[in-house]
Amino acid sequence: MMDVIRKVTKILPITLFLIFIGFQSGLLAKGAQNGATAQAPVVQAEHAANALPDTFMVVPFILLLIMIATGPLLYKRFWEKHYVKVSLLLAFIVISYYMIFLNDAGSVLHTASEYISFIALLSSLFIVSGGILIKVDKKATPVLNVLFLFFGAVVSNIIGTTGASMLLIRPFIKMNRGRIAPYHIVFFIFIISNMGGALTPIGDPPLFLGFLKGVPFLWVIENVWYIWLPAIALALTAFYFYDASNKKESVSKTEYTGKVKISGYINFVYLGVIILAVFIDPGVISWVPSLSPLPFGLREVIMFAVSFAAYKKADIKILKANEFDFEPIKEVAFLFIGIFATMIPALQLIAHEAKAMGTKLDAGIFYWSSGALSSVLDNAPTYLNFLSAEMGKYGLNVNVKADVINFVLKDPLYLRAVSVGSVFFGAFTYIGNGPNFMVKSISEKAGIEMPGFMSYILKYSVIILLPLFTIIWLLFFFNRG
Amino acid sequence: MKSLDEVIKNKLTGLYYRNRILLPFTGYILKIMVDDDILTDFSIENGKVEINEYEEFLELYFLEYEDLTEAISKFESIKLVIVEKDNDIFDFDNHRKILLYLNQNHQLSIEETDEDILFIE
Repeated sequence: MMDVIRKVTKILPITLFLIFIGFQSGLLAKGAQNGATAQAPVVQAEHAANALPDTFMVVPFILLLIMIATGPLLYKRFWEKHYVKVSLLLAFIVISYYMIFLNDAGSVLHTASEYISFIALLSSLFIVSGGILIKVDKKATPVLNVLFLFFGAVVSNIIGTTGASMLLIRPFIKMNRGRIAPYHIVFFIFIISNMGGALTPIGDPPLFLGFLKGVPFLWVIENVWYIWLPAIALALTAFYFYDASNKKESVSKTEYTGKVKISGYINFVYLGVIILAVFIDPGVISWVPSLSPLPFGLREVIMFAVSFAAYKKADIKILKANEFDFEPIKEVAFLFIGIFATMIPALQLIAHEAKAMGTKLDAGIFYWSSGALSSVLDNAPTYLNFLSAEMGKYGLNVNVKADVINFVLKDPLYLRAVSVGSVFFGAFTYIGNGPNFMVKSISEKAGIEMPGFMSYILKYSVIILLPLFTIIWLLFFFNRG
Repeated sequence: MKSLDEVIKNKLTGLYYRNRILLPFTGYILKIMVDDDILTDFSIENGKVEINEYEEFLELYFLEYEDLTEAISKFESIKLVIVEKDNDIFDFDNHRKILLYLNQNHQLSIEETDEDILFIE
C-alpha cells in the first residue's frame, strides 16, 4: 500500500503539469482556430460563463484548510512528512473535476498564472531577505523597542511581513538579551508579522492577491492608512505598558557598543529590483511584453532570476547566522498549490451565494467574518473568498479585472473592511499568517519558551487584540454599508 | 579525552549518521535545540533523545528523526548547552553554547557561540 502511495505521489506533480500543459494546448488550439491574439486564452478564461461547480467540491478546500490548521499542532510528524502529497492530491481532485466534468480549463489556467505571480513575489522576498543580517548592539528599553516595532511595521510594507519578520526577529531578540519574555515575541508577531503589512500589496499575501485581481497598487495605502495608524499606535501603547513593567536587567557580560551593523547590502538592491518588478506587467505598463500564453510574465522571470542570483551570491556566514532554510518557503509553495486549486469552486460558489444575500451583508459583517476566518484559516484565500462575496453582491466577477476595478471605485468600504480584517486578524493565532509560525520557531530555537496555541490566544490575543479590533470596528465599520 | 577547548581551537569535527551524532568530547548536556524542538528531558523514558557517554566521546540518537539532514538545512545547526566534565554545573559561566553543523561526508562541524544565536537560560 505504501509503495502505491509513494508511486502516486511521485507521478502526481508530473501529472498535474501534463494536465496544465493539456489545458494550455487546448486553449491555444481554440485561440488559433478563432484567429485570436496571444492574449486570447486568458481573456477567454476570464470571461468564460462557466457552470457552477457542485457544492461538494468545496470539501477538498475545507479539508486542506483544516489540515493546515491542525497538522502542525496535532499530528506534526505526519504533517511534516506528507503535507506535499496531501496538497497535491487535493489540487489534483479539483483540477480533474474542472477538466473532466465542467470542461472549464480557463478557471484553472487563470488560477495557475495567479499562483505563479504569488509565489514568485513571496519566495523572492524570502530568499533575498535571508541574505541580509542586521545586528543591533544596543541595550533595549521600552521606548527603543516601541521604535523598533514601529520601524518593523513600516518595513513590512516594503519587503512583506515574511521578509520583515525574518530580517528583524533575531536583532529584536538579541537587543532584548537578558530581559526577553514571550510577550516581546507575541507583540512582534502582532505588529511586524501581521498588522504592519496592511498598507501595500507587498505587505501581506491577501493584499497581493487583491492586486493580482485588479485592485490598484496605491488603493490600499490611500484607503487603509488612517485605520492602520491608530491600530499600530494602540498595539504599541499596549506593548509599552507590558515592557515598562519588565524590570529584568540584562545579564549579558558584554558591553553594548550602541552600534547597528548591517551586512549583505547588495541584497537591498535586489529587494529594490523585486519591488520595481511588481509593476512590470502589461496591464500596468503598456510597453511591457506579454509572455502569453505562458502562465507567467516578465515580472515573475525577473523575480525568480533575482532570487537565484541573491542566493548564489549570498555570504555563507550571513546565511548561517540567519539559519537560512528553504523549508518555510517550500511549505508555502506546495500548500498554496493546493489552496489555489481547491479554492476555485469555493470562490465561485461564494460569489454566487453573496449575490443572493444582497443587502443583508454590511461592512461590519465582512470585517468580523473575514477576520474571524483569517485568524484560524490562511488569510490569503479568506480575503479572496470575501472579495468574491462582496463583488457577488453587485453581480460582479472577481476573476474579471475590469469588474474588480469597477467594484473598487463603486464601494471601497467593503474592500477596506475585508483588507483590514484579513490582515489584522492573521495575528490572532499562530496559524493565521505564515510568518507567525516562523517567528515562533526562530524564537524557540533561540531558547525562548513560547506560549502554546491556546495560551497565545487566551493570554494575549483575547486580552490585547480583541479590544483593539473592537475599537477599529466601532470607529470605522460599525453600522456602515 | 579531548577538552571542548581543544576541539573548538583545532576545529575538530564530530560525525553524524542519519539520526545519530558522535561528539569528540564528553560533558553534561543541559539543553538541546534541534529544528524547533527544545529538549531538556534526557531521562531514559523521554522518547526523543538518547545520550550514551563513552570514555572518548558522546553519542546522541534523535529518536523522533529518521535522518537529521531532512530537518536541518546546511545553514542551520543543532544547538547544545553543555558543561564540560569536572566543571561546576551550577556556574552559568561554565554553560558552553555549541553549534553543530551537518556537513558533507558525515562530518559534523562544531562551533562555539555566544554572539549571534541566543540560548536563553
